[in-house]
Amino acid sequence: MFRKILIANRGEIALRILRACRELGIATVAVYSDADRAALHVLEADEAYRLGPAPAGESYLRGDLILDIARRNHADAIHPGYGFLSENANFAQACEQAGIKFIGPPSSAMRVLGSKTNARQAADEAGMPRTPGCVTALASPEEALDVAAAIGYPVMLKAAAGGGGKGMRAVARAEDLPSAFAAASSEAERAFGSGEVYLEKLIERPRHIEIQILADEHGHCVSLGERECSVQRRHQKVIEEAPSAVVGQDLRRRMGEAAVRLALSAGYTNAGTVEFLLDDNQNFYFLEMNTRLQVEHPVTELVTGYDLVHLQIRIAAGEPLPFDQQDIHLRGHAIECRIYAEDPANSFMPSPGRITRLLQPGGPGIREDCGIYEGWVVPMDYDPMLSKLIAYAPTRDLAIARMLRALDEYVIGGIRTNLDLFRQILRDPEFRAARIDTGYLDRLLASSPPGAIHLQSAGDPQPGPPPIPAIAAAAVFEATKASNGLADALPSSSSVWKNTARREAVGGLD
Amino acid sequence: MKFNLEIDGQTRQVEIDPADSPGEWRIRIDGEAVEADAHLIRPGVMSLLLAGRAHRIVLDHSSSDPALHIGRQRIPYRAEDPRSLRSRRRHSGTDGPVPVKASMPGRVVRVLVEKGDSVAAHQAVLVIEAMKMQNELKSPKDGCVAEIRVSPGDTVAAGDTLAIIE
Repeated sequence: MFRKILIANRGEIALRILRACRELGIATVAVYSDADRAALHVLEADEAYRLGPAPAGESYLRGDLILDIARRNHADAIHPGYGFLSENANFAQACEQAGIKFIGPPSSAMRVLGSKTNARQAADEAGMPRTPGCVTALASPEEALDVAAAIGYPVMLKAAAGGGGKGMRAVARAEDLPSAFAAASSEAERAFGSGEVYLEKLIERPRHIEIQILADEHGHCVSLGERECSVQRRHQKVIEEAPSAVVGQDLRRRMGEAAVRLALSAGYTNAGTVEFLLDDNQNFYFLEMNTRLQVEHPVTELVTGYDLVHLQIRIAAGEPLPFDQQDIHLRGHAIECRIYAEDPANSFMPSPGRITRLLQPGGPGIREDCGIYEGWVVPMDYDPMLSKLIAYAPTRDLAIARMLRALDEYVIGGIRTNLDLFRQILRDPEFRAARIDTGYLDRLLASSPPGAIHLQSAGDPQPGPPPIPAIAAAAVFEATKASNGLADALPSSSSVWKNTARREAVGGLD
Repeated sequence: MKFNLEIDGQTRQVEIDPADSPGEWRIRIDGEAVEADAHLIRPGVMSLLLAGRAHRIVLDHSSSDPALHIGRQRIPYRAEDPRSLRSRRRHSGTDGPVPVKASMPGRVVRVLVEKGDSVAAHQAVLVIEAMKMQNELKSPKDGCVAEIRVSPGDTVAAGDTLAIIE
């Protein structure tokens, strides 16, 4: 087993990996940019080293600096988390050459599966269904027109090196294709440094279903069921759940077997995710493979009972998978909400800044993976995810109820967040009936824009004048602000605790 | 003490005085009496009891106007001394100089115009970026760029005036 692991990431995932290392008795090395000196992953690590200025290109994407820190401080493995260097085959190869274990697949498998066109060829070889379309990059708009004519409109243009919805264009008619081709290609060039695009048939109103796989370095590979990630905005996942409400035993087995075949054919090891689109008739189509740990891995952990980061580390250390496919059973239902620093009522504008108040939810069935605290300044340099709130319960209905309860406990002050958006979605009859597809959230937002409505459930009082409690509280805050300053003016609970402690010390009779 | 409370778009007259025990208050809202038992469990987080009904109230005073989180609502409020004569009503017409303000905190990526340029309403003037998202700031009206207060690389706060269009 490894003695020391460097975690080449930040935020909640750095903290989540760090916790796994500590549980396994492995020392941790954190790295940080200037914007993250006060971040929790630095606070909690055994060692921490500065990378550079805030922009990711000068810090978390500097594979050379990270490898150097690993070497100098005798880390024997690097966990890349997700994003940043996690799917960078060159970095994985540099680790291999330096004799430091990259906790993920070998760089050779990343090269096969990391490019979407290569992955489509691999899918064909593994005999798994994929969307009709091409398996190589398009050379010209003319070639795009030919392919589109052969498979029929509507079609989707996609960046071969893509991800996160960049370099994607849906095209309904031939006359729109040349301009969409140019736009997608230049967007892909800017985002990924490669303008290669390919084309596939657009599946109407698909569900996004993905299969989690784990492969050890001894040729064993298992699937850990599916996650449904159909609630998306601009091709970015917003809510994920496991299992999917529409995937039964048989479909789960067939999708799992296809995913395992693909992984084995590419010499894949460690954790990975095979993404599929599912149409109305339960046909599934290979979309792409993510060669890393996913943001939404906790929902799979909750329904399978396995710790995916522990298993990643054990697999990377050369241990065989501790279970077979028939040992894997799904139990209960888990839902994850991605809490973002953004303002849904103001075009989802980013909202970095200081968290002045933080009340976090807890209690049965609630897991929160986050790297924030009261007083933390959310940097403007990275993605806006603050926290992953996950609810687990025996059934989907109860998981929804539990999540709504937790959302009501949650207060994040000082910055705007999308907490209200989740209340809106989780109360929506369509979501509750699991009638969702990848266009669902855009339709919901179009029909009831956030901020325009007061969120009311059946039992709530009707919106009306400001409630008396709010007026009374504002009055008390105002009265105490003027005299003694906010914190001192009211009896604070610390004196209550002191009194209680004193009473208990004296004998508890009061 | 007495003040006018602007809350959720309405104005209420509020009078508040400490009652006999610490944390207890006598409040009159538009003349109507309310007995409140308010306890700060930590700074900004209040446990409020009104005739046995329990409320959790969280104060968020990060922006210029404070707001309360109560239940699922976020309610902004503002207290004014009724004796104050100054008017807060600001009128922002489109005559004269109009500022271009930052819609979010971020970093200036590009400045698309120069001082003296004429611009059309809704023409992009600046681009700011935060959290991997770029946002174009547009001219509020037809006019001429009177002033540009930032350059690429500058960090700005939400609401900062970045340029002025005359």
